[in-house]
Amino acid sequence: MNSERRLSVGVLGAGLIGVDLAMKVERSTALDLHLVAGRAAESPGLKQAARLGLPVASRGIRSLADLDEPLDVVFDATNAGSHAEHAEALAPLGTLLVDLTPSRIGRMVVPTVNGADVAAHRDLNMVSCGGQASVPIVRAIALAHRIDYVEVVATAATLSVGRGTRLNLDEYVETTQDALREFTGVGDVKAILNISPARPPATFRVAMSLVGEGLTHDSVRPLVAAAAADVRAFATGYTVTSCIVNDSKAFIAVEVTSAGDQIPAYAGNLDIINSAAIRVAERCAVERRSIEVMEVVS
Amino acid sequence: MSQQAAESSPRRPILIHDPTLRDGHHAVRHQLGREQLRAYARAADAAGIPVVEVGHGNGLGASSLQAGRALLSDEAMLSAVRDALTTSKLGVFMLPGWGTTENIRQAISYDVDLVRIGTHCTEGNLAERHLGLLRDAGVDAHGVLLMSHMANPERLAEECARLVGFGATGVGILDSSGHYLPTDVTTRITAIRSAVGVPVMFHGHNNLGMAVANSIAAAEAGATILDACARGFGAGAGNTQLEVLVPVLERLGYDTGIDLYRLLDAADIAERELMPAPPTIDSIGVVSGLAGVFSGFKNRVLDVAAREGVDPRDVFFELGRLQAVAGQEDLIEDVALALRAGSTGRGERMASHV
Repeated sequence: MNSERRLSVGVLGAGLIGVDLAMKVERSTALDLHLVAGRAAESPGLKQAARLGLPVASRGIRSLADLDEPLDVVFDATNAGSHAEHAEALAPLGTLLVDLTPSRIGRMVVPTVNGADVAAHRDLNMVSCGGQASVPIVRAIALAHRIDYVEVVATAATLSVGRGTRLNLDEYVETTQDALREFTGVGDVKAILNISPARPPATFRVAMSLVGEGLTHDSVRPLVAAAAADVRAFATGYTVTSCIVNDSKAFIAVEVTSAGDQIPAYAGNLDIINSAAIRVAERCAVERRSIEVMEVVS
Repeated sequence: MSQQAAESSPRRPILIHDPTLRDGHHAVRHQLGREQLRAYARAADAAGIPVVEVGHGNGLGASSLQAGRALLSDEAMLSAVRDALTTSKLGVFMLPGWGTTENIRQAISYDVDLVRIGTHCTEGNLAERHLGLLRDAGVDAHGVLLMSHMANPERLAEECARLVGFGATGVGILDSSGHYLPTDVTTRITAIRSAVGVPVMFHGHNNLGMAVANSIAAAEAGATILDACARGFGAGAGNTQLEVLVPVLERLGYDTGIDLYRLLDAADIAERELMPAPPTIDSIGVVSGLAGVFSGFKNRVLDVAAREGVDPRDVFFELGRLQAVAGQEDLIEDVALALRAGSTGRGERMASHV
């Protein structure tokens, strides 16, 4: 791939999500990491990013907005309450925002469900770790059955849940519920988040319960398998551990391990949302190339 | 309590907090109705019980398949109990990640007097935002640590100090699986007391028959808020039995301010109106206490173990080995499937590629 066609990328936020995301950008052949911007030079995350040889800055959104050349893509890995301000600062520059906070501001994207929507929006929201892990499977079942109620319980290891997420539990719950409603068409939904202190740390786990009609072992299991295979195309550690159907109820549990980088295997919550965000940015790179090709042709 | 007038030293005040209508919900799959709530709340109020807590067993916003769906909405429960109380304060409980700020605001609109924000014992900072919100709203807010046997005294003290920093006007620990022996409680309450200046609470469960003894140990170590439920109505083997704890405290020289006969009347009403039978320490109760697993898991463990044909005792010990915390009921399904696979060699636990 011609490096000139790579999209220039900034990562805003140097917490657990931001640093892993930066490593994933580094590995992408479609993306070119220009800067990781935190808010304090002495923060552990920014120091870690610098140690890893990544370009860093410490003036937060200003570090990204004041660059001579506007960035093609900025990943917002800060917190839900700050996203509006970040979107406002970057909007005049034409930068595409990929928001990893549960802000409920931009267009929600779950890559295997509505990845095609990315071209039409400049602020894309990655929902939540629990949303990314559950929406593909719940949607697949809901498209083929009448579903009256959906419940999604996520459990993340304590070491994989940073302060931003801890302060954003309400937003996690509301955003995950919004995504479930929007993508499955089921009105009655509930999202729950547990934090596990177990040692060794528990692998990120998402349990889905659906109540509806006509749910049978034979009707549910192939849908789950197909949806999971789609997700595994970009989140390789996505695994179905239980699929139990009885009495018009389906219970599906998935576990997600991380593909490595700087985060441990149990932290699949970080890996799945970051892998989904990278997938979205790479898709934008493809769209942009095809637009450029069309412009040349015409 | 009149029969204890012979005490010579000044009687030490202690506050009884009664979660019969919240924790008791675990024992009846969260199915208490409006008249049941009102009947007990009126009786508790008449006895002079200082705080009556109501809600789904896991608190505000927790009605779910995971923990059981409640018969009544939070609003219906709050309105029923609010109207029944004249002097007792109205308390609620919430676990961040289960309930949200919206649930707290709704409770505030029913003039709730005290909100407890619960987290797993090592995760107190999950309560930061909600304790801050309640402080700003001027509502009494306590931070309480669940499954506290899973952390040592120093860690619990550190977490409690942090909760006070977030705005908690009281802190404490729950023995959610009924695992403690009295000395475990003494060391923990002592450590917490030396770390904070606010009132300290203890909430016992009776899996190993220790709930009253543990509560006394807590009081003797300086806890000034004790939880107890009528007939011990609560998850699994039940909670500290209210109508036993109160007279024991009075004999020891504590002042609860509760009227004995009215208290016994309330307990009789609870037994008659709220429960098919009072909690007992059955074999599962002993096992879940030994395993250190949340007592509220009992009904789902029994359901799933029966369905999968595995021994519920094995399920509890395996959950304990996995260090399951309150709220992780979904793990029961996978544990039961894994046990069945292990015992029969033809299980349904799915391989990595469905």
